[in-house]
Amino acid sequence: MTTSSPFAANVVIEARNIVKRFGGATAVDDVSLEVRAGEIHAVVGENGAGKSTLMRVLAGVIAQDGGQVLVDGVRLETGAKNSIAAGISLVHQELSLVPEMTVAENIMLGYAPTRLGFTKSGELNAIAKKALDEIGVSVDLNERISRLSVALRQFVEIARAVARNPKVLILDEPTATLTPTETDYLLNMLQRLAANGMAIIYISHRIPEVFRIGNKVTILRDGKQVLNSNIADTTPDNVIDQMVGRELKLDFQSRRVANPGEVALRAVGIRAPGVNGVDLEVREGEIVGLGGLVGAGRTELVRAIIGADNRTAGRVTITRKGKSATITTFQSAVRNGVAFVPEERRVDGLALAMTVAENITLTNRHELSRFGVQIRSRVSAFAQQLADKVGLRPPQITLEAGMFSGGNQQKIVIAKWLGRRPDFIVLDEPTRGVDVGAKAEIHRIVRELADEGTAVLMVSSDLPELLELSDVIHVVRDGMIVGTLPAGEANEKNVMSLAAGEKMVDA
Amino acid sequence: MAKETFTEVITVANSGEADVKKSRSALPWIADNGIFIFTALLLLFAALFVDGFASLVNITDVFHRAAPIGIVAAGMTFVVISGNYLDLSVVAQVATSAVIMLAVSNLYGVPIAMLAALGAAVLYALINGIAVGYFKANAVIVTLSTTYIGVGVLRFFSGGSIFFGPEDGPIRAFGTSKLGPIPYSAIVLIIVTLVLAFVLNRTNFGFVVRSFGSNESATRLGGVNTGLVIIGAFFVTALAAMVAGWVLAAFSNTAVSSMSTGYDFQALAAIIVGGTSVFGGKGSVLRTLLGVIFVSVLTNVLVLSNISFGYQQLALGVLIVVAVTVDALSRKAGKR
Repeated sequence: MTTSSPFAANVVIEARNIVKRFGGATAVDDVSLEVRAGEIHAVVGENGAGKSTLMRVLAGVIAQDGGQVLVDGVRLETGAKNSIAAGISLVHQELSLVPEMTVAENIMLGYAPTRLGFTKSGELNAIAKKALDEIGVSVDLNERISRLSVALRQFVEIARAVARNPKVLILDEPTATLTPTETDYLLNMLQRLAANGMAIIYISHRIPEVFRIGNKVTILRDGKQVLNSNIADTTPDNVIDQMVGRELKLDFQSRRVANPGEVALRAVGIRAPGVNGVDLEVREGEIVGLGGLVGAGRTELVRAIIGADNRTAGRVTITRKGKSATITTFQSAVRNGVAFVPEERRVDGLALAMTVAENITLTNRHELSRFGVQIRSRVSAFAQQLADKVGLRPPQITLEAGMFSGGNQQKIVIAKWLGRRPDFIVLDEPTRGVDVGAKAEIHRIVRELADEGTAVLMVSSDLPELLELSDVIHVVRDGMIVGTLPAGEANEKNVMSLAAGEKMVDA
Repeated sequence: MAKETFTEVITVANSGEADVKKSRSALPWIADNGIFIFTALLLLFAALFVDGFASLVNITDVFHRAAPIGIVAAGMTFVVISGNYLDLSVVAQVATSAVIMLAVSNLYGVPIAMLAALGAAVLYALINGIAVGYFKANAVIVTLSTTYIGVGVLRFFSGGSIFFGPEDGPIRAFGTSKLGPIPYSAIVLIIVTLVLAFVLNRTNFGFVVRSFGSNESATRLGGVNTGLVIIGAFFVTALAAMVAGWVLAAFSNTAVSSMSTGYDFQALAAIIVGGTSVFGGKGSVLRTLLGVIFVSVLTNVLVLSNISFGYQQLALGVLIVVAVTVDALSRKAGKR
């Protein structure tokens, strides 16, 4: 469906040279686009390309640092009230519904019709019903959100946006959690809304969806707009090339020679929320990379494997020195030599108000104490040694962890696990938000671990990192492994194609 | 790629801290150090302007009276630092321990009475700890409920009667004895404080309690059995409440189910005024001792100045609201 809409007449929303910075980083760098009534404008890009930030600027949620947004030719000021008045509705990536309120209440949340402060429930239900009818979803208005499936919640979220009769509807990855049938339904619905004259901005990583419903496409890479064209004038292949953008440059100089040993971890039939049946093996001294898009279920998968979150099915066995043990809880995993560097280091990895030494001690406290009493000299010597090993800067173990930069905080998390000499380590986005110097050091540590025989399982959305470090890459989509690429065969393009659900391009 | 140099990063780390202090407010500093200054000022004020304060008899009496609450507060500090707010059931626990001490010792002697009180303490710790630690029930609601259960059971068994110890028994002797000018109760307070300070600061158990209070998720994902940590925190509180019950029974030589009413609030007041954060992770047992001294001296000053009980309650209430607000604001200011 690449013909332009018959309604394509007046420009409803226009972005002119938008710039948005966070601290020193430029998240959106000089992006311009315009969307006409009845048009679906797709915005695509890798993880972290700046798509969500751009949408939040367009919707007036956050203020831009440069450029302007015009709605019907009038400049849009930042603020929820202004954007609602201007007729913009944003469907967030994260669901923002109130679980213990009803469908109707959620749809009307924030602008329920009232008289003298009392809700007019008849009118409320009527508007909510109309919005649901408009998107063709039938669900009991009085059902609580917490009792609905994830897909239905997504549709209620869209109904909430539609109920305000917006001129512009912005959707941020609405299909990330949907099955193919549900996605199909959603895409048809969006085409119907566009046919009725709505201007739609649609963010997705998924190339086939973009080509099915989009009239135009904008590609963002590192915050910059690298393509803005009619869908008809481009191809899926070209879009993926532009998204990735980099030359296929593999740093084979720095590749270590992998020498995998016995199977250290075997996971069979893993299921958990967001994980739909995964089998996985990691060998001693091997780095297994998990590629895929944000929301593909990689974090959920690794957390389920090591028991950090509950799994609903599956069996995980750790084998070390010929002895096997079954992993059920996270504690049993740790006892069997598992280490875990979590995605959210400030939430799951560190006690920010405690010192570096205390954070490092947590995982090693039994070795650093006698009859449960900590031996202070041993604690500080141990912590200092590890801090030096990971290259912590400043190497002061009595400072609070919260005072360090992101990269150094990550080194502290790694240090606390290195002290246990892990046999199996899971790293979830080990270098996200980390400066280049710290990133190189973290890479060195990961390589050293593998060289010493540790089995490594790494989730990374940073494609060059994934390609450079991994001995084998599994690509995850919709909670399943959809492709496996040995180091020699993997490149940015075929990983991205698998991740985005595009057919393998001349593999 | 140019690597950051040592000194650069030090500057960054330090300037970050300086920024917070400079640009925000003095509140974090007050939350940290206020207790030392305010205690000193209060003592100075009392010594200079309050008749009858600066006498050995009065000072030892203040400590004597402060001992049971101070012992409870030292134990409860563990629950507060673990981030679970407080243990309201200390009210029931202290009374239970005191009643058991007198009632059982009259029949079976002191050692059996101590064991029975220990049994009750273990029971309290298990109920509170399992509900909060493993089932993630709200600590305030759970311990409020166990207070009712405990006091109810106590009334049922005692029939509401008051228990007396023999005038010449070992319990009475302990309650009236002094080491030089210092009453035994104050010595018990000091010993309990020192022991618990050691446990909190130097043992693995104390360490994981602090770590849990600072970041529950990171502690769990450090391989710690967090349910057990919470049970442990409630167990320390229960043991302290048990000892407080013994001390209270000894110096009054009577025990009744309502004898420790208000201990929950007064212990919390001491903990918070001492500068232990209700958000968990930050605080110490020695601070709690200072908080106890501050609250006790303040009460003593009000009593000596003939200010009525109603105003004393009012003062304590205002004090806690101020302390808790400073805690909350300083936490907010400390965040970037």
